[in-house]
Amino acid sequence: MTIARTCVNDEATQAAGEDFGALLRPGDIVLLTGRLGAGKTTFTKGVARALGVKERVTSPTFTMVRQHDCHNCGGIKTLHHGDMYRIESAGEVADLALGELVEEAGVALVEWGELAAEVFGPRAISIHFEVHEDESRTLSVHGIVDDARRAEFTKWASQ
Amino acid sequence: MKVLGIETSCDETAAAVVDEQLHVHSSIIETSLDEHRAFGGVVPELAGRAHVVTISSVVERALIQAGLDPHHPDIDAIAVTSGPGLIGSLLVGLAAAKGYALAWNKPFVGVHHLEGHLFAPLLETPNLPWPMLTLLVSGGHSMLVLQSGPGEHEILGETIDDAAGEAYDKVARWLGLGYPGGPAIDKLAQGGNAKALSLPKSMSGDSYDLSFSGLKTAVVRATEKQSDLAIEDVAASFQGAVAEQLLRKVRQALEKNEVGALSLAGGVAANSALRHGIAELAKEFGIPALLPTMEMCTDNAAMIAAAGLYRFQHQGASPMNLSANPNWQLVDVS
Repeated sequence: MTIARTCVNDEATQAAGEDFGALLRPGDIVLLTGRLGAGKTTFTKGVARALGVKERVTSPTFTMVRQHDCHNCGGIKTLHHGDMYRIESAGEVADLALGELVEEAGVALVEWGELAAEVFGPRAISIHFEVHEDESRTLSVHGIVDDARRAEFTKWASQ
Repeated sequence: MKVLGIETSCDETAAAVVDEQLHVHSSIIETSLDEHRAFGGVVPELAGRAHVVTISSVVERALIQAGLDPHHPDIDAIAVTSGPGLIGSLLVGLAAAKGYALAWNKPFVGVHHLEGHLFAPLLETPNLPWPMLTLLVSGGHSMLVLQSGPGEHEILGETIDDAAGEAYDKVARWLGLGYPGGPAIDKLAQGGNAKALSLPKSMSGDSYDLSFSGLKTAVVRATEKQSDLAIEDVAASFQGAVAEQLLRKVRQALEKNEVGALSLAGGVAANSALRHGIAELAKEFGIPALLPTMEMCTDNAAMIAAAGLYRFQHQGASPMNLSANPNWQLVDVS
């Protein structure tokens, strides 16, 4: 069964991110996909809030990856906010070394993550953002294999 | 005193020589823009590689044009952008600067790219009435900065989501226009109706913060719903909304602060609607407007040399183990 949550507006998308952030564990890589303005950065702002990031989270398109220190959220110390908008090849995704960076008590959220899927394979969780006619968004989560975690995210979807 | 400046934070490889009177002896800029145009944006791997290929010839040309011996130049320091920017690109400039510093036995100093942009207007108009209010808008940054003097900056507000230039590039790619998006949209906008689309008015409060993500999304929505919109009208409406927000925030800042001069900086400073609006606002408030030439708006090394000169004179050289910082914040520079 697909894990999906519908968000009626930006605030709901950010809240979905905040609830999602609370379920993350060190080493997680989350790929965000969906068209321009689908809510990827808004969602990430919510995740950052759950992880206790103090500074403002803005679009990382220019620098490709921004690092944020996390506070008071268990084992996660760093949020790596990536953006593949300008990237053209899987080789360049690998150059960003996100897979290695998350090993040091980090999590990564990667916008425009389509290209990154082939680099991270089954290791990554992915969320697709679909925008509907009435401006609402459906966020579908894929790639959670562990049964216990699946149950947690299924609960997230029904929130 | 003469300083060699080196800039490689994004897609321009640049070197320049500037003296303490902020006189520019040379300024060489090589861009790898043509290589990026096909991809609709800066490609980091290409940018990094292009810098490696061009850096030594760009530095050599800058020294020769300044009348210096390219092998033993009579300079007093080397300034280099050490952040923010693309890590791969920054590293090339930083490694080159350290290499030259060791080879020529000269001090070197790491410079914040945005502080460089803030120094750019001074290179063209050295005697300014301070304080100066600068609207700094580029592909990676958008902020309103109040400077009480050179190197003294207070960020009044900045973007809470996308940079203005980034919104231009993304809307341009969405509309099927080329990269960079700014000039393409600016040109189309000349022949369009800015009132054709009703776009949301962003950031209507008292804060000086900026936001362009909502505008970008509104353009996407409008073009999805109505496929027969004239592209000129879309361009004109988007450009009008971006300029309206930026100029509204500049006006708010002029009303609430003592300002001696108003300046524009960063690549988006080339935008015609913005230049016109800033000139009009300055006239209204009876202060000079500094609208830098294209060469000074966009990334160049003369501005890095100027900022480096100031930092070197006030704080001395940087340590040889200085590393590139792609996330370096302007508020952390003092």
